[in-house]
Amino acid sequence: MAQRPAVYRHSVATRLTHWAFFLAFLALISSGLQIFNAAPYLDASDKSDPARRVLSIDSTDAHAGITTIFGHRFVTTGFLGYADDGMGGKTDRAFPGWLTIPAYQALADGRRWHLFFAWVMVICGLLYVIVGALRGDLRELILRPGDVPKILPMQLYYLRLRKDPPPHGKYNPLQKLAYTTVLFILAPLLILTGLALSPSFDAAFHPITVVFGGRQFARLWHFVLMLLLIGFFVTHLILVATTGVINHLRSMITGRYRLGTHDGTGI
Amino acid sequence: MLGTRLNDSGFNRVLGSAEALNHALLGTHGLAKEYPESSVDRHFRVNGFDPPMDSAYSTLMNDDFRSYRLIVDGAVENRRTFSLAQLRQLSLQTNITRHDCVEGWSAIGKFGGVRLADVLALVRPRPQARYVVFHCMDRSPEGLPYYESLDLHQARHPQALLVLDLNDRPLDADHGAPVRLRVPTQLGYKSAKWIARIEIVASFATIFSGRGGYWEDQGYEWYAGI
Repeated sequence: MAQRPAVYRHSVATRLTHWAFFLAFLALISSGLQIFNAAPYLDASDKSDPARRVLSIDSTDAHAGITTIFGHRFVTTGFLGYADDGMGGKTDRAFPGWLTIPAYQALADGRRWHLFFAWVMVICGLLYVIVGALRGDLRELILRPGDVPKILPMQLYYLRLRKDPPPHGKYNPLQKLAYTTVLFILAPLLILTGLALSPSFDAAFHPITVVFGGRQFARLWHFVLMLLLIGFFVTHLILVATTGVINHLRSMITGRYRLGTHDGTGI
Repeated sequence: MLGTRLNDSGFNRVLGSAEALNHALLGTHGLAKEYPESSVDRHFRVNGFDPPMDSAYSTLMNDDFRSYRLIVDGAVENRRTFSLAQLRQLSLQTNITRHDCVEGWSAIGKFGGVRLADVLALVRPRPQARYVVFHCMDRSPEGLPYYESLDLHQARHPQALLVLDLNDRPLDADHGAPVRLRVPTQLGYKSAKWIARIEIVASFATIFSGRGGYWEDQGYEWYAGI
């Protein structure tokens, strides 16, 4: 089969912010889990309230790890609750050392990483949106009402229930849906729920904390939003892996992308 | 250990740069939400170090803190000491606010006491004064004394109290008797317990490890608004 031509797909700003996003994403999740470990439970309430506990990761005196979700107990010894202490041993801790920064339990360090990389994420996000808006790239990424009827056909195409993708531009309707959701819904909500944990932010902008159901509830939302973002990340990796890893990696490093059969009619 | 090396590294200082940004952008503005009586945790969570173990503290406790004197000195026009009775003669304030711990949990208490701003007005900080340092009677398991600090803006916040009563009762030993700080716009570690002395200073660089507080010396941020 003849190769289709390579096109210049990603601007320098897109490529730089992409990899900065990736680093910040890993740092924020692992330092966030470190912070979670200091109070390994999530309550659907303003102040802490065991009666409204949605998730807790605990250990028993016999060193069994117990994860409780909506009152359902799961034994998670070795992974959650009683796990890797980050120093070659095992200890009572919610998330294991291999998932946290630093690996050993250190809330102060976790906060340092988290609050620093939160800024990296925010500054990259602003840069990405501003440069994208100025260059016009962003227009091709944002979901528009006209894309909505194409979402289902595109999903059917991904599921191999449809032979061809619906006609689309540089990004297909599902990509637009995913990126628009992450950029304009998940990311702002992650920032706001994180800020709602801050007592000074709460004093200055209390109505925002109220919207999330209070401080502890905001902590729960922050965690759930992290899970959704991980879901996006895993989907992203699967799609990259199944539609030409080398081609995608090259396009995110050099900017040049070779069009394939998945890419519809446009670039 | 790797962590110790990292703590002194330039990289760690880069990570710490977010603190200045957060302090500049978020600062201390507005009032912490005040809650109704029905929200109060009657058994307010005990946290932090154990009460002071020394004989000086047990002597104070045994006579109901009648011999306790809060020292307020440093860069002030008018150094003062206050007995508990003298503190109670000042205008007493009560607020029901949420205590947000750096660990991630929170609890609501009814805090009664004296506005820190009122005490500062009595001692009159000198022009060079910038920080209010709280020297406490408790010690870490390693024997380091607890201390904390606020800048004058934070210290004059109308909800910043020198607390004498928790949930309508005089503070008990576990909660910092006879006087503790309560700053609802900051994380809980700022709200020092068992306060013996308040020192007004131009800089805290020469106090203990120089970062403005026991937990700050252990790597936590001085700006505890976030």
